[in-house]
Amino acid sequence: MIHSRKTRRLAALAAVVTGALLTAACASDTPEGNAAEGRDLTIVLASEPVSLDPCDTQDAANAQVLRANVLESLTRIDAETGEVVPLLAESWEPSDDNREWTFTLKEGVEFHDGEVFDATAAAASIDRVLNTDIGCGNGTTDQFPYEISMDVVDDHTLRLVSAEPDGILPLRMTYIDLASPKTPTDAKTEDPIGTGPFQVGEIVQGQSITLEPFDGYWGETPAATSVTYVYRTEPTVRASMVATGEADLAVPISAADATADDRTREYSDNRVFFLRTQTNKPPFNDPRVREAVHYAIDRETIVGALMERSGRPYDQIVAPTVNAYIDGFEGPTFDPDHASELLQEAAADGVAVDTTVELVTRPDLFPGSDEVMQAIAQNLEDVGFTIEFRSLDTDAWLQLLRKPFPAEQTPNILGISHDNISGDASFTFPKYVASTGTNSTLENPEIDSLITEAETKAGDERAELYQEASRILYEEEFTLVPIALQTKLLLLAPGVEYEPNGLTGVELRIGDISFTN
Amino acid sequence: MWTFLRRRLVTSAISLVGVVIVVFFLARLTGSPASLYLPESATQEQIDEFNRINGLDQPLLVQFWDFLVGAVRLDFGNSIWQRRPALEVTLEALPPTLALAGIALALSLIVAVLLGSIAAVYRFRSPDRVISVVTLTISSIPDFWFALVGILIFAVQLHLLPTSGYATPAAWVLPVATVMLAPVGVLTQVVRGAMIDALGAGFVQNARARGFSKARLVMRHALRNAALPIVSVAGDRAAGMVNGSIIVGSVFAFPGVGVLIMGAVLNRDFSVIQACVFVVGIGVIVVNILVDALYAVIDPRVRVSAGKGK
Repeated sequence: MIHSRKTRRLAALAAVVTGALLTAACASDTPEGNAAEGRDLTIVLASEPVSLDPCDTQDAANAQVLRANVLESLTRIDAETGEVVPLLAESWEPSDDNREWTFTLKEGVEFHDGEVFDATAAAASIDRVLNTDIGCGNGTTDQFPYEISMDVVDDHTLRLVSAEPDGILPLRMTYIDLASPKTPTDAKTEDPIGTGPFQVGEIVQGQSITLEPFDGYWGETPAATSVTYVYRTEPTVRASMVATGEADLAVPISAADATADDRTREYSDNRVFFLRTQTNKPPFNDPRVREAVHYAIDRETIVGALMERSGRPYDQIVAPTVNAYIDGFEGPTFDPDHASELLQEAAADGVAVDTTVELVTRPDLFPGSDEVMQAIAQNLEDVGFTIEFRSLDTDAWLQLLRKPFPAEQTPNILGISHDNISGDASFTFPKYVASTGTNSTLENPEIDSLITEAETKAGDERAELYQEASRILYEEEFTLVPIALQTKLLLLAPGVEYEPNGLTGVELRIGDISFTN
Repeated sequence: MWTFLRRRLVTSAISLVGVVIVVFFLARLTGSPASLYLPESATQEQIDEFNRINGLDQPLLVQFWDFLVGAVRLDFGNSIWQRRPALEVTLEALPPTLALAGIALALSLIVAVLLGSIAAVYRFRSPDRVISVVTLTISSIPDFWFALVGILIFAVQLHLLPTSGYATPAAWVLPVATVMLAPVGVLTQVVRGAMIDALGAGFVQNARARGFSKARLVMRHALRNAALPIVSVAGDRAAGMVNGSIIVGSVFAFPGVGVLIMGAVLNRDFSVIQACVFVVGIGVIVVNILVDALYAVIDPRVRVSAGKGK
């Protein structure tokens, strides 16, 4: 410990002032440790759920507690492969045009309140998310771009009909958590009743939520007998709670609090940090200038030094679990001389490469992002760009992220941290790559038609179309500049086993947690 | 005395109204709640609908008028963030803040009077020097650093206290100590100064000549005469504590007005920001009036001059 002498002195000071007065009565009151019994879990999270309504699980803080533990959906995403796999639906079958999808539902499933799970219950629950006026966070146009109608074929068969051909309807069903038919449809509820292995127990607002086991659960019973979630804003405090035995799992923690042993686990949350150039504005309307940005940035050094445990250098704009990911693809590597050459060539052809360019970020893009962006600014200046660094608040940053991009706006390179946990590129490409995308500066008819075609297809065919679009984006357009695949850390108490995955941030399955002592 | 109180109440009310008005407009500079609560892909219609439901579609002056009319009836509207009446949210956060402030202030006064008196009695000798160095150091420590190091030492290393929370008495120790840091340092110096003056005064010399014990001299004769400046500074500190400590809230997850205001600002929850400012404002006014009343209790001269309608 570097400050051992200082801290010891401080300990003495603090003891003089407060110890005598306050600790006498409390000294015997040691923190409760529950790791020893091993089966009641305490998990410390960064923030409290804002809503417990089953239709608000798009928010990560809500989802992390409820999804897969209290609430379940028809389908779920396999965190390893990114594929859609059965949950409350046993199987599904599309019509030839991918417009009608028929789901066969699991039998013998019961909600926490004793209601039977069947096609009628599922339809009512889906209807509550898609067609009520209660302000659900789920069921946004992002998740459900096309109108859906429902048809209860029999007790265990539900047919969903999409207004347009939709190759990923089963994936979309992961966004609807199914709740008991008794859930009110005219208002939000704070009492989520699902089919998961746990039901909500005591809630102390601002302090904790406890989940109690549900005896009638259809699946495998989790090792943990109850779960208590508490919230601490400071990452150091979260890590400390594991160190003292007050918590069994802290998620996430910061690199500064990481332990050297296997108790700290690193995981990707399928979030990619990339830069966006403005294809539609000089000097970036010349592809050589955009390509130069790729060669100018020393990703290995910057990411290695400044994002040591929060990211690794990366060549694509989606995580490996997303179907647009091209296996084995390698992007341009750091070559400042080549970048300068490209800029000089463009300048010789009359492109105003010395135009001042704003490098725009926001301080909360990710921890330490301002330092990373400053290093990138330096790299860009080194090869001949004239950079003005701007770190804006989220609102101002959003203004620049979205269309329109008026002509008088100074050309910019925008820092973006984008996550796609769905496994499907339709949650990235239409928005960031298609010419109609709200956040896209690119206009490439070939890419557009690939994306449009992919929308109607499913499976491998769909993936191939997205990969083709990716290839054009990476090898010809150079509009988006991938920097890093971001990673996070969590901390486990001794005797607790959990292997985090790409969904940990939004779906912390208690069933995946086991005990070794 | 009553004239004085009345005048005090009127001027306080005017400043409260002023502050509430300024905050109304300042809060709206933080940006639009719609861009925070709606997804990135929200359409203009969805944004308009959100603004309509939350009354944000009206012209600013109309919103202001509605706010004033509501505020008179203690109705600050609903919290966008917590979807409950803003005043209810605020009043819920008040008890922990007041309890923490009360305990911290009382302990600070006890510690400060003890240490300050010792320092005054042994003025310029080693106990005085040690106390000065220690208290000045304590009051110079940044509270967030103290809070985190406190957790590392007392919770992680020594296992004496829990890291955070507020459900058990042990969990209060570090938050109380963190809030005490600055007041202890300042108050000890104030007590020391006031006591040195009082101990040097003629009536104390006289009492000493009559053979009173040192402890009695200090605690009965000198302390009462040194009380005025101590009460002023303590009152000032108390007013500062009413708005809660953000550090204690965010590090120890100790609920209170401080974290509530911070959360409300980050969540662009204008109603809660306004309700908090109003409630804290009243708290500060009450503390100030209490301090004035205490003056009168402690010092008969204040009573006499106030009674003259000064």
